[in-house]
Amino acid sequence: MKNYEFIEHTADIGIKVKGTTLKALFHNSASAMFNIIAKKRRAAKTFEKPIEIKQEADNLDELFINWLNELLSLSATKELIFSDFKIQSLTEKKLQAVAIGSPVNEFELNTEIKAATYHALKINKGKFGWQAEVIFDV
Amino acid sequence: MSEIWSGKIEKIDDYRWRIPKSHKPGMRVPGIIYADEKLLKDIYQDKAMEQVANVAFLPGIVNASLAMPDIHWGYGFCIGGVAATDPENEGVISPGGVGFDINCGVRLLKTNLQFEDVKDHIKDLVYALFSDVPAGVGSKGDIKVGAKEEKEILLKGARWAVEQGFGTEEDLECTEEYGAIQGADPQTVSDRAYERGKAQSGTLGSGNHFLEIQVIDQLYERDACDTLGLDLGQIMVMIHSGSRGLGYQVCEDYTRSMVRCLDKYHINVPDRQLACAPVNSSEGKAYLAAMKCAANYAWSNRQCLMYLTRRVFERIFASSWQKLGMQLIYDVAHNIAKMEKYTVAGKEKVLCVHRKGATRAFGPGHPALPDRYKKMGQPVIIPGDMGRNSYLLLGTKKAEEETFGSTCHGAGRLKSRTAATRSIDINVLLKDLEVKGIIVKASGGATILEEAPQAYKDVNDVVNVVHNAGISKRVCRMKPLGVIKG
Repeated sequence: MKNYEFIEHTADIGIKVKGTTLKALFHNSASAMFNIIAKKRRAAKTFEKPIEIKQEADNLDELFINWLNELLSLSATKELIFSDFKIQSLTEKKLQAVAIGSPVNEFELNTEIKAATYHALKINKGKFGWQAEVIFDV
Repeated sequence: MSEIWSGKIEKIDDYRWRIPKSHKPGMRVPGIIYADEKLLKDIYQDKAMEQVANVAFLPGIVNASLAMPDIHWGYGFCIGGVAATDPENEGVISPGGVGFDINCGVRLLKTNLQFEDVKDHIKDLVYALFSDVPAGVGSKGDIKVGAKEEKEILLKGARWAVEQGFGTEEDLECTEEYGAIQGADPQTVSDRAYERGKAQSGTLGSGNHFLEIQVIDQLYERDACDTLGLDLGQIMVMIHSGSRGLGYQVCEDYTRSMVRCLDKYHINVPDRQLACAPVNSSEGKAYLAAMKCAANYAWSNRQCLMYLTRRVFERIFASSWQKLGMQLIYDVAHNIAKMEKYTVAGKEKVLCVHRKGATRAFGPGHPALPDRYKKMGQPVIIPGDMGRNSYLLLGTKKAEEETFGSTCHGAGRLKSRTAATRSIDINVLLKDLEVKGIIVKASGGATILEEAPQAYKDVNDVVNVVHNAGISKRVCRMKPLGVIKG
């Protein structure tokens, strides 16, 4: 089951993502982003490469956007599609994680996401956990 | 998330509407939207109007926050937005006013082929172009460069491609900024951006980028058509692409640093995607120098794409591109910031003009134009959707006076990608296009749906506004025959 839903935007793609914890929110948002970008081919051989990611920012919004954009950038340069994420430590200003990627040729590519944007970005903590709304430039 | 905009708007005339400064506190200038009543109804449907008002917050903004009739909701700036800032009056530069695809733009080349010559070859051409021109998500090409050569691309732009044998001096003359904007500094570009750019020269990309074979179906300005050597039934080729991953990375790197500039320079903007820094600050200067690098990469990319296109035509028609008359009409950028001279309140000033989904449209006599276009004005290329039309226009003096030498850049989206995918049946769409005589080839079915004609405004309505408002002039109209999508 998808852990995100689309929100309408005329030109780009917006999503609403949930997570029981902040770590889960970061995990699910990254997972949603790569779900939009590509779909694994059934016959694909599994070869996984872990990439370490460290990010620091002034606040949670910036950390969230930096995390997603760092993944996009690494995906492009390493030619990997990330399908799993282990968030090792996370505060509102600092993140340490490992992204697990497989070679891009094992995927059917659907949509190019140029970047995650700050426009209409919302990250909230509610009764039942965390929620984020983010718009991607496609 | 979409909701109808309910702000106050004042009619200036049939084609111009004003959002007054009183719309919300913090607006330094009013917003002015170029549209007619029909287009305005659609413009109200999303958050584009609010974005026009948000841009009016930028320090140093001159006269008005402008929007062209293809305006729609973007991120930060609206798409179709134009804003000029005065560096001598705290004027800022914003990476969000240029966008991630720096120097996304269009080029139009003519051929001496007539519809009768190609009508039995369209499918061959489309398939050959699809096979030879790398397209799609993260597409990589055969033109791979090392770091040293990539630096040359960032400095020399399209001239680099010409030096490799991918074109001629004449091509450079027919490109905005002669294919290379001055002031690019490769040192301001991150290693990551270099890495993303090394294998993407001569690649189309995905989304709304395309390569189209078109036929001229309407002439408007007979003298200009004669000068340009254009006539009814003539085959044209249009290429739409940008700076690829290198540009996205430059925008991302500098948005990161400029979000921090908001506090540093005490700048108040209602959307962090409008993050900016004074043009004359170290951050502003570094972004401008890096943006120019990406812009030059894009001009080189479109030059390489044109080279690949010419090669395909040579093969299919067993003739040289020169004999096929495949000359470049012009190449324009529609996501860029430029330092340009304007007269403001009787005083000559160099302003930083942001064009986010808007095209430069200089009128006759402008010093930036090559001799061949000095008399008629700058060719402006307006791509439409894959089922309707595209246009060749000319820039005007009135655009220089009213819109900082700017006009629209395309049809402008109407429907979201998700709505288009939900509501359109791909088989019906392809059948409709086939009935119209249009062959489409894309790397993914999703792209065809997302880019369906129904997802766009009618480019004829958009061009009607810029023509009637006098900020550009119709020359001729094309319709698509073959479409290659990413």
